[in-house]
Amino acid sequence: MAFREKLESGEFVVTAEVGPPKGTDIEEMIHHIDLLKDKVDAINFTDNQSAVMRMNSLAGCKIALERGAEPILQMTCRDRNRIGLQSDLLGAYALGVRNVLCMTGDHVSAGDHKQAKPVYDVESVQLLKIVDSLNNGKDMAGNDLKGATQFFQGAVVTPEANPLEPQLIKFEKKVKAGAKFFQTQAIYDIEKFKEFMKYARKYPVKIIAGLVVLKSAGMAKFLNNFVPGIVVPDELIEELKAAGKEKALDTGLDICARHIRQLKEEAICDGVHIMAIGMEDKVPEILERAGLL
Amino acid sequence: MIITKKKDFKDLMENLKNYQKFFLIGCSECASLCGTGNEEAIKELTEALTAEGKEVTGGFVPKTGCQVLGTKKELKAFKEQLAETDCILVMSCGAGTQTAVELFPDKPVYPTNDSLFLGNMTRFQMFDERCSLCGECILDKTGGICPVTTCPKGLLNGPCGGMQEGHCEVSPDIPCAWVRIYERMKKLDKLEEFRVTIVEAKDWSQGQKPRTLYAREKKKKEE
Repeated sequence: MAFREKLESGEFVVTAEVGPPKGTDIEEMIHHIDLLKDKVDAINFTDNQSAVMRMNSLAGCKIALERGAEPILQMTCRDRNRIGLQSDLLGAYALGVRNVLCMTGDHVSAGDHKQAKPVYDVESVQLLKIVDSLNNGKDMAGNDLKGATQFFQGAVVTPEANPLEPQLIKFEKKVKAGAKFFQTQAIYDIEKFKEFMKYARKYPVKIIAGLVVLKSAGMAKFLNNFVPGIVVPDELIEELKAAGKEKALDTGLDICARHIRQLKEEAICDGVHIMAIGMEDKVPEILERAGLL
Repeated sequence: MIITKKKDFKDLMENLKNYQKFFLIGCSECASLCGTGNEEAIKELTEALTAEGKEVTGGFVPKTGCQVLGTKKELKAFKEQLAETDCILVMSCGAGTQTAVELFPDKPVYPTNDSLFLGNMTRFQMFDERCSLCGECILDKTGGICPVTTCPKGLLNGPCGGMQEGHCEVSPDIPCAWVRIYERMKKLDKLEEFRVTIVEAKDWSQGQKPRTLYAREKKKKEE
């Protein structure tokens, strides 16, 4: 598939993110898929993000495939045990999904079904090993599969985690467990990200920098205060403030585009992952400003 | 020890509304340390029941409420008081309650406590959970700190992305288990071990309920 080939050949990739709807009305999701499919290399479909119950990621992936988009199946360990995860992976493969992003998943306490039993039978590192095993024709218990998968499996990393070293050790375990690419938690400080990349370049994996579009100075402060692993530098907050309320979003789009341009031109990493969070419509404009369209 | 908490008295009275005469059984082990099953707790509950117009025929704190035969022997001295009651109240953990259920097949037995967790006492009557009796101890791989219990996700290979300045995403009051493990292993110069070991997925069949163990069986074979 194009995403994997492009990434492996060393080309700069662009991925975006679409959250399946809470309900059966898929009109908006289809609109976003159609809007993004020719402008990005792959679209991530989130797996009940923030532990808020929604349509599953697989349905989003299948609909994307039907419309000619390349999906990345996000898969968390929160809601399924090892039987459920493997079963869904086989099903996803049969439906044409080729990219999977393995993650632990936000705890149920963050979501809208706080009474739910969190599963975490396995976790992200072990899920990567499971995918590797399915790719080699065996299930987790060592049983032969009638037909193996050929997933391109990725994982996530938080370059701004504090303390950082335990996060890096986990990153190394994910590499060892078979991760081929990483999509990072949102980054805003490119100089600091370069430091992370200096470290990550020692490993044979592709790094796709996560970017969350800033809508206002208030949002930036919220990210700093409440979202683990995200640090928006003061100068960006000042820039958004200086833009004033009406121009804040425009400035946010500019910041995102500027970062994309720099990451690509200086060949800092292997691609960008744009998390628009409700502003998927703006992604083409960001890419245009970044000179990618 | 097993940490217990007194049930809400109103809820307890609702459970007991059809009974009049009670015998109270505490426990001198965990429930005494928790203050839920010692002599004082028995005295308090006796007073509270009396104030509600109930009758208490007697009470006793056995040495170890989960020890079935020992408790049976100790309770022989209370044969008459026990015969008089129409309900037995157990003021220890769920195990203690089920000792009484086994010993008194013809009497209703009710718990006065909720059983919470296996805990360490850090200060007087202050407890925290460090072991969840999973059946397959991995403390040898995690610097002696249990992530199965002290990480809300039970992660086995390092912190998740929800860690923030050493705290857990679930609550800022919870220290990140994996940051604690990391710091301890670093101090012990064992970071390399953490780095290179991928801890395999747990074998949850080791915790398949209900579990039984006959420790002497093995000894016999060894002899």
